[in-house]
Amino acid sequence: MSAPRLDRRTFLQGIGFAGAAVRIGLPPLACMFNSSGTAYGAREGLAGTTPETRFVLWFNGNGIPERYWIPRDEGDEYSLTPCLSPLARLRDDVQILSGLDNPNGQTSGVGNGHQRTMSALMSGEKYTGIGAGGPSIDQVVARKIGANSRFPSLQIGVCQESFGTSMQRNMSWSAKNRALPPEVIPQRLFDRLFGTLDEGWTTRKRSVLDAVREQARQLRSNLGREDSRRVDEYLTSISDIERSIAQFPAEYARNTEAPDAGGDPRDYPRIAKVQSDLLVHAFASGQTRVASYMLTKCQGLTRFPWLGLSFARHHEYSHLGGSHRNRQQEVMRDICRWHVEEFAYLVAKLKATPEGAGSLLDNSALLFVHEHAEANSHKNSGGAVILAGHAGRLKTGHHTRVTGTFGDLYRTVAKEVGAPIDHFPTSYGMISRAKA
Amino acid sequence: MRVLTALAGNLALISVFAPPAPAQSHVDFAADLFPRLEAHNCRACHNASGVASGTRLHFPEPGAANSVITRFGLGLEPLVDRSDPSESLLLKKPTNRIPHTGGPLIALGSEDEALLTGWVEHLASIPAPLTTISVQHSNRPAEPLRRLTHTQYDNSVRDLLGDRTRPGRSFPTEDYVNGYTNQASSQAISPMLAEAYGKAAEKLARNAFRYGDERKLIPCAPRSARDRDCAESFVRRFGARAYRRPLEPEEIEAYADLIVNWAPANGGFLSGAALAVETMLQSPHFLFLAPQSKPDGSQGFATAARLSYALLNTLPDDELFDAARQGRLVTRSDVQREARRLLGLPGARDTFDEFFSQWLRFDRLRNAVKDRNRFRNYSQGVAESMSEESLRLFRYLAWQNVDFRELFSADYTFVDDFLTVIYGMPDPEVPFGRTDYPEHSPRGGILGHGTFLAQTGKPINTSPTERGLFVREHFLCQTIPPPPPGVDASLPPLLLGARPMTIRETMESMHASEEACASCHKLVDPIGFGFEHFDTVGAYRTTERVRVEPTPQQERKGMKAETHDLAIDATGYIAGIEKSDFRTPREAGQILANSKICQQCVVKQLFRYLFGRHERKDDADLIDRAYNRYERSGFLFQELVLGLVVTEEYLQVHWSE
Repeated sequence: MSAPRLDRRTFLQGIGFAGAAVRIGLPPLACMFNSSGTAYGAREGLAGTTPETRFVLWFNGNGIPERYWIPRDEGDEYSLTPCLSPLARLRDDVQILSGLDNPNGQTSGVGNGHQRTMSALMSGEKYTGIGAGGPSIDQVVARKIGANSRFPSLQIGVCQESFGTSMQRNMSWSAKNRALPPEVIPQRLFDRLFGTLDEGWTTRKRSVLDAVREQARQLRSNLGREDSRRVDEYLTSISDIERSIAQFPAEYARNTEAPDAGGDPRDYPRIAKVQSDLLVHAFASGQTRVASYMLTKCQGLTRFPWLGLSFARHHEYSHLGGSHRNRQQEVMRDICRWHVEEFAYLVAKLKATPEGAGSLLDNSALLFVHEHAEANSHKNSGGAVILAGHAGRLKTGHHTRVTGTFGDLYRTVAKEVGAPIDHFPTSYGMISRAKA
Repeated sequence: MRVLTALAGNLALISVFAPPAPAQSHVDFAADLFPRLEAHNCRACHNASGVASGTRLHFPEPGAANSVITRFGLGLEPLVDRSDPSESLLLKKPTNRIPHTGGPLIALGSEDEALLTGWVEHLASIPAPLTTISVQHSNRPAEPLRRLTHTQYDNSVRDLLGDRTRPGRSFPTEDYVNGYTNQASSQAISPMLAEAYGKAAEKLARNAFRYGDERKLIPCAPRSARDRDCAESFVRRFGARAYRRPLEPEEIEAYADLIVNWAPANGGFLSGAALAVETMLQSPHFLFLAPQSKPDGSQGFATAARLSYALLNTLPDDELFDAARQGRLVTRSDVQREARRLLGLPGARDTFDEFFSQWLRFDRLRNAVKDRNRFRNYSQGVAESMSEESLRLFRYLAWQNVDFRELFSADYTFVDDFLTVIYGMPDPEVPFGRTDYPEHSPRGGILGHGTFLAQTGKPINTSPTERGLFVREHFLCQTIPPPPPGVDASLPPLLLGARPMTIRETMESMHASEEACASCHKLVDPIGFGFEHFDTVGAYRTTERVRVEPTPQQERKGMKAETHDLAIDATGYIAGIEKSDFRTPREAGQILANSKICQQCVVKQLFRYLFGRHERKDDADLIDRAYNRYERSGFLFQELVLGLVVTEEYLQVHWSE
């Protein structure tokens, strides 16, 4: 097989497009392999070397109902709570950690409780009134391990509804106040990853970008500090595009077709699965090692008709008060279970994609976080997360109550994916109990 | 020895004291007293955009240096009564002996009061200022580089290429900062936006020449794919419009090279021209509006560009461009003349429609959720009609040159038959034609519109807090600190068997018992209470319907949910504005229309939109001048626009006159 062709039909079949249920053990498609039968991630250049590790930071808006989410018992015998039930078949691939604090989310200052929590959760720094106070953890990791990939990192999103501020719409931040918006439209993500790049196109694109870069360089030298920084950012973005052209994997440089543009753009369970499939393909084909995945927005306003919840929106449900107080907990339980369901889909997909002697999941760490601990009270302490994958020496199969901050956990996970970082705001140590 | 102190206020005033040197105070202001004032959170209101922005007490920025804090402490001197220090405002206000909007913050007889008394006595003992001089802010920073907004991008490619596909609609969404989506501080070009620019440019360039040069972009007939003369004249003409200035010789050369090198092997001259267009549309010279211009006489072009993007959200038209080329954009009156002309063009309407729809947050109205069972007359379509109603009022005031204060006090409106159902009015003769309110209507101005009444509020209940906050932030330009972390802001449930209470009663009883909440909520909620005769979709109601659900235990005993219709107390007031009691939107509108804080807020809102940033201290003078022009004109919106745009600050020029 000399020309593996990944057209829309095979692509859709391969990802189990129509199936909403989690499918485990789906055999990988032949076309996902190169001519020698190895998966892209383990292709020639990498054979014999340690497989690349990957890091995913997965975010869900608003918060959880703790009593339906956090397991009551610790250790490897813990019972899955209603929210965590979609993980039943992945118990040995995930660990649950609870007791994490987000200290800088708990301060007073500009912004509302959501914006402050979000900035601190992603970057460890306080909200600036415009955006996050520093680079987010996925970007810190990408700087360490993403530099040689076609895409240093990917930002993927699903649900779009939110109060319109930057802090609420974005989870990845390249620097203080500098948002990296998530790609929420599957067709566009597909285009970025697998779109047609014929030679003529590439040549033309290069000559355009060369000219633009030269102009940006000259312009920058005539500007003040703040302004030249803005032009610098444009320059960086141009380099990113140039790199994504330069390193386009030959296997994909065929006429591939994007997923249908049709379909309900608010059918988020479907979109989440397509986005997850695309992410798995991006990992498998070695296009990136780091991704952020924003399922629902910070202080999100999505409706959930597929859960039978269309009376109000996500954020309003999280604060249903008065006589609806009991109902609030049940509604949040259903929403949070859906979050976990979509996460489980991605984890299962990685597990089903072979790499070397094992699977992609063996070399990945996926961290699933929520904006707040208890949703209604905007709690920033005692947060619970799911940490999936077997990268490094990460422990799985346990629920562990820990003491420490999200910053501590980020540093712990970063080290296991090969991106050790000495400092992260609000981090004072490591969460050693997350490791085997 | 001379001691310098700065008075708190918008303009830094320096007071010069003469000897003898003042006695040493036993209170160290920065170390002892200031942290206590911070602990009482005086700053929450006493800052340039706080509820107490109109008072003489403005705290320095958080994290200010000790020297600044000390100067601030000394600058409190005007609040001290020298003849009887114990009668000083600085003592009697925070202890609420003179009614303090923020309530009693410092308890009588407390240690903090003793500290404050010590400082007041110290201030009374030092000599009075002999003279005051104002400090000129000569080092005003340059205006920031602006990226074209998505609207500006769409309009620019429309005017450059005749392309009306509006590619900017699929760019990554622009976020709200300072209340608008065009703020310089949020205008980064992320990799995703750069990619989107790339894709759009590719498509626009291809479409421009898809059927030959049907849009007449090439000013000559190319003799061959290598026709350099023709390439240069195309670049010179098209480039000048895209860059909003004549191209430098090197730029022309580079683009001409690009064309003649590319064209022969790729399908002819037009393919080269398309490549040049694709490149220019991604050039930083196209995407960024540079505030500075080179000193070589290209000043007029920069002025033309800034003027045109401010008023029309697009590149200069031929007439404006000619004026710049011919040096007819040099003096203030030149610019004024052109600005007036531009304001008369249809594009100006779209620009300020955008301003208004962001100021009033139509996007939130569009996304508001209302209970469909309870409010069957309400729908997405109604929300659209509400926006349209407000927009019609805005356009009428702005473009018919009507006193803009009528935004708040108009006794007429612009409704269609969707809205008349909700508002309980007769249908208008023409949809969205001007209709007078019935004689004793409680509605008036924007505060009677669904835009305000329905965008604030919950699916079933009203939210007096949200309504109050909206008035504070959008119409008075005052910010209220958010609740401290960890506060459960939901109201306690009503119980069967207990006395049913209206939202107002519940809130009042709750906040009365929680002093920490009360200090801020009483700045906000009483405004909202005045609108309680309007339900969450903006319909008038005489009573408030309250539904009380049984607890699970009560349910087991067979108790059923009860519904009560309770009398409404819609008396409200705006803390910080004298004599501001009201009970209808019409009365509240009169208060806002006559309030200088509100009038100045209109100036500030427009400033934020036009300048693409929040106002700073050194903008006070510019804002004052714009306000004065606005006031002198009888509050005409267009004069306000000119007052902000036709300025040296906005255009980054120096006029000699």
